[in-house]
Amino acid sequence: MSDLILDIQDLVVNYETDDGIVHAVNGLNLQLEKKKTLGLVGETGAGKTTTALSILNLVPNPPGVIRNGRIILDGEDVLQKSPKELQKMRGNDVAMIFQDPMTALNPVMTVGEQIAESILLHENVTQAEAFERAKEMLRQVGIPDSRAYDYPHQFSGGMRQRVVIAIALACNPKLLIADEPTTALDVTIQAQVLELMKELIRKYEMAVLLITHDLGVVAEVCDEVAVIYAGKVVEKGTADDIFNHTLHPYTEGLFNSMPNLKKKGEDLEPIKGMMPDPMNLPEGCAFAERCPYASDACLRVNPELRKVSDTHWVACRAYEDERFQLRRYQHA
Amino acid sequence: MSAVTKSTVTTAKPVTKMKSRSQGQEAWRRLKKNKGAMLGLAFLILLVVVAIISGYIFDYETDVIGINPAEKLQKPSAQHWFGTDNLGRDIFARVLYGSRYSLVIGVGSVFIGLVIGVLCGALAGYYGGMVDQVVMRINDMLYAVPNIMIAVVIVSLFGTSTFNLLLSLCVTVATAFTRIARASVMTIRQQEFVEAAYAMGLPTWKVIFKHILPNCLSPIIVQATLSIGTTIINASSLSFLGIGIPSPAPEWGAMLSEGRNFIRNSGYICVIPGLAIMFTVLALNLLGDGVRDALDPKLKK
Amino acid sequence: MGRYLLKRLLLMIPVVLITSLVIYGAMNLTGGDPALALAPDNATEAQVEMIREELGLNDPFIVRYLKYMGGMLKGDLGTSYVTNKDVFKTYMQRLPNTLELGCASVFVAVLIAIPLGIYTAINQNTWKDNVGMVFALFGVSMPNFWLGLMLVLLFSLRLHWLPSSGRNGLASLILPALTVGMGLAALITRTTRSSMLDVLRQDYMRTARAKGADERRVIFRHGLKNALIPIITVIGMQLSNVLTGSVLAETVFAWPGVGRLIFDSISKRDTPMVTGCIILSCVLMSLVNVLVDVLYAFFDPRIKAQYVRRER
Repeated sequence: MSDLILDIQDLVVNYETDDGIVHAVNGLNLQLEKKKTLGLVGETGAGKTTTALSILNLVPNPPGVIRNGRIILDGEDVLQKSPKELQKMRGNDVAMIFQDPMTALNPVMTVGEQIAESILLHENVTQAEAFERAKEMLRQVGIPDSRAYDYPHQFSGGMRQRVVIAIALACNPKLLIADEPTTALDVTIQAQVLELMKELIRKYEMAVLLITHDLGVVAEVCDEVAVIYAGKVVEKGTADDIFNHTLHPYTEGLFNSMPNLKKKGEDLEPIKGMMPDPMNLPEGCAFAERCPYASDACLRVNPELRKVSDTHWVACRAYEDERFQLRRYQHA
Repeated sequence: MSAVTKSTVTTAKPVTKMKSRSQGQEAWRRLKKNKGAMLGLAFLILLVVVAIISGYIFDYETDVIGINPAEKLQKPSAQHWFGTDNLGRDIFARVLYGSRYSLVIGVGSVFIGLVIGVLCGALAGYYGGMVDQVVMRINDMLYAVPNIMIAVVIVSLFGTSTFNLLLSLCVTVATAFTRIARASVMTIRQQEFVEAAYAMGLPTWKVIFKHILPNCLSPIIVQATLSIGTTIINASSLSFLGIGIPSPAPEWGAMLSEGRNFIRNSGYICVIPGLAIMFTVLALNLLGDGVRDALDPKLKK
Repeated sequence: MGRYLLKRLLLMIPVVLITSLVIYGAMNLTGGDPALALAPDNATEAQVEMIREELGLNDPFIVRYLKYMGGMLKGDLGTSYVTNKDVFKTYMQRLPNTLELGCASVFVAVLIAIPLGIYTAINQNTWKDNVGMVFALFGVSMPNFWLGLMLVLLFSLRLHWLPSSGRNGLASLILPALTVGMGLAALITRTTRSSMLDVLRQDYMRTARAKGADERRVIFRHGLKNALIPIITVIGMQLSNVLTGSVLAETVFAWPGVGRLIFDSISKRDTPMVTGCIILSCVLMSLVNVLVDVLYAFFDPRIKAQYVRRER
C-alpha cells in the first residue's frame, strides 16, 4: 500500500446546473503505484477529465461539486487540503498536461517566462536562475533554448505541447497526469511527442496517469490500464491482462470497434447504442442496455469491482458464473 | 409551370413568417422571466399612461405654464407635492406633463432615425462597393461628431425649435442604425435562402424587404430600445444648454436649466426632473438589455 | 516599432488636410455673410464692402483656402470674429484645462471601473455581480449634467467641502472629474466585465492554476493582461471624446475648457474660431489614437509582431 502514489476511493463528482445534475463520476476507484504508467481509457463523456481535475482539486466550482470520496496522493488526502497546501502541491508534487496545446499557453507571456513561473512558484531561486532552468527544460524537450524569448503564437502545435510538457516537468513532480496529450496533434507529430514523453517518464522516474481514448497509445506507453465507463472503473489490470485476457464486455466492444488490418473487408463493429445520459443514469449497470451479455439482474444492480487475479479486476455480474467467457475467447 | 412557381412562392413566405412568430413567442417567454426587464416595462407603461392622462388632467395654460408669483419657490408640501419653481408653477404638474415631450421626442426621433438609418445601412450592405464606401464614410464622420455639436450647428443655422431638435437627434440615431443594418444585411445576404429567393425570380426590393430585413430584426429592436434612452438624455442635455425645446415648455432638461439659478436655496427644483429622466432611461435600458438577452440567450452565457 | 510610429504620425497629415478642407468648406460656404454680422447696425453698403475686402471674403474659395493653409503651417489660424483674439492662442489657453479635466475624469473612471468590472466578472451571477451591474446601469442612465448638479448640491451647498464652480486648484477639479468620470466608468465597467468573462473561460487560466499559482496571480497576471485590449479600446474612445471637450460638465461647473469654447463659437457663428478649434481637436484625437495603438503593442505581443513585421 505504501507503494501507491495515488489512491482514489469512491470518488463521486457532480456538475450541478440549472438544467439538472450531471453525474460525471460515480464511485470511482483507482490505484497507481510509484513510477508506473496507468492508462485511463474511455469514451468522451466517461468522466476521465473530471477525475483528473479532481486529483488536483481543480474541478470548476460552480458548477462542479465533489460529493464523496478520498484522493490519497503520496499519503495525504487531497480533498482535505487547504487552498495554500493545494497551491504548493500543484505543479510541484503533481503536474497536469491538458489536451489542447493551442489554448493552454498564455499568449502574452514568453514561453521561457511561463516555464520559469512554475519554478519560481515552488522554489526559492532568483528570476535569472529560474529562467536559466527554463531554458534547460526547453532543451530537454527538444527545443533550442534561444526560443525561450518567443511567444506561444510563434510555435506550431507540436512544439507548444512540448512547452506544456516542459512546464509540467519543471519541478520534477512525482505524478504526471496527461489528459489526451496527443489527441489534438497531427499523426506524425503524435508519434514524436509520445516518444519524447516516454523518454522523459523514464528519465524523471515519474508515475503517470495517461488519459486517452486511443488504445494504440495505451499499448505503446502504459504498464497498467483502467477502463472507465459512465464515471466508474469497469475493468483494471496490467496491459497484458486487458489486451490479451479482456474481461469486461465494454472493453471487448472497444477492441472490436477498432479497425483491424487483418480483418480487412469486414464491417466495423461499433458498440450499439450510446452512453447513458449522465443526468439520468440507470439504476443498475450503466452498460447493461448496450451489453450483449446482459441479464435482468444487470438492470437492477450496479456491480462492484471484484478481484479476478492479483492484478486484474472487473465490475461485471456475468463473472458470478465462473464459466463465463467473452465471445472473443469462446472460439478459442 | 406557373402553378409550380406559385406554390413554391407561397411556401417560402410562411417559412420566414412562421420562424419569426414562434421565435417571437419564445423571446417573449424569456423576457417575462427577467425581473429587471419587466420592472422597466411596467414603469414605461405607467409613464405612457401618465403622458396621456396629463393632457386631460392638467390645463396647459393654467397648470403648466401659468405664472403665479405669489406661490413662488415653495418647498414640497401637501399642496404642491414637488414644490413650486421661481415662477410659482407647480413642479409636480410640470414634471408629469413633461413626460409627453420626452416620450414623443424620444420615440419620434428614434423612429425616423431608424427608418433612415436602416435604409442607408441596408443599401450599403446590400450593394457593397462604391455605395458602401460612400455611405459608410459619411456615416463614420457623423458618428464621430458628438450629438451636441451637431445640434449646435443645426440650431445656429436654422434657429431653436422642436423640429430642429428632432432633426439633430435623428442624425445621431440614424448613424447607429446604419452600422447595425449594414452589418446584419452583409451577413444575411450571403446565406443560401437569399440565393434561393433570387432563383425564384423575386425582384431585388422584395428580396430585401421580405427576406433579408425580417432576419435582421433582433439587433435593430435592441438598438431601438436603447436608442430611445440615449435620445431622451441627449434631448434633455440640449434643452439644458438652451438649444433644445424652447421655454416655457416643461421639458425636463429645460426645467433643470432654469432651476439651476436657484439651486442655492431651492435645491429641490433640480432634483425631481433629473430623477424623472434617470428612471425613464433606466427603465428603457433594463428593457433593452432584457430584450437583447431574450432574443439571443447565447450571448449571456 | 519606431518606424511604425513615425509612419502613423506622418499619416496624420493627410487626415488633417482633408478634415481641414471639409470643415473650412462647410463653415465658409454655409451660413450668412460674416461681414454683415460684424458691421455695426447702421453701416452703409460701402462700409460693409470694406470689411469684406479686409477679411478677404471676395477672393475665390480656393485662394482663401490656400491662404488659410499657409497660415496654419505658421501656427496662424486666423482671428476670432467675436473676440478679435488669435484663434490658436485662445485654443491653447483653454486646452490645458480640458486636458486636466479629461485626464482626471478618465483616471477616476478607470479607478472605479476596472476593479468593479473584474469583481463582477469573477462573481458572475451572484448578488455581487447584480449589485455591480445595477450600479453601472444607473451610471449609464443618469444625465451627467444632472449628476453634476446633485454633486454640487451635496458637496458644495450642503457640506461646503468643495467649490461649486470655476477652476482654481485641485479641489475645484474633483466634482467636475467625478461628474464626467462616473458616466465613463459605467461604460468601462461593462467592457471590463465582458472582456474578463471571456478571458476567465480560457484554457491558459486553468494551466496557471494547475501550476500552483494562487487565485490573485491567476486573475491579474494571466487574466487581466489578456483582457486589456478591448478595455484599452474603450478607454481610448472615451479619452478622445473627453479631450475634445465635455460641454455639459464645463457648463455646470463654469470650467474654462475647449468644449464650451467650440459650443459658444458655433452659436455665435464665429467661423475662424470654429474651424480652427475643430481642426486642432482632430489633431488631438489623432494623437490619442496613435497613443492607443502604442499601448496595444505594449500589451499584446501578437499585435506588436504585426507592427514590427510591417517594417520588414
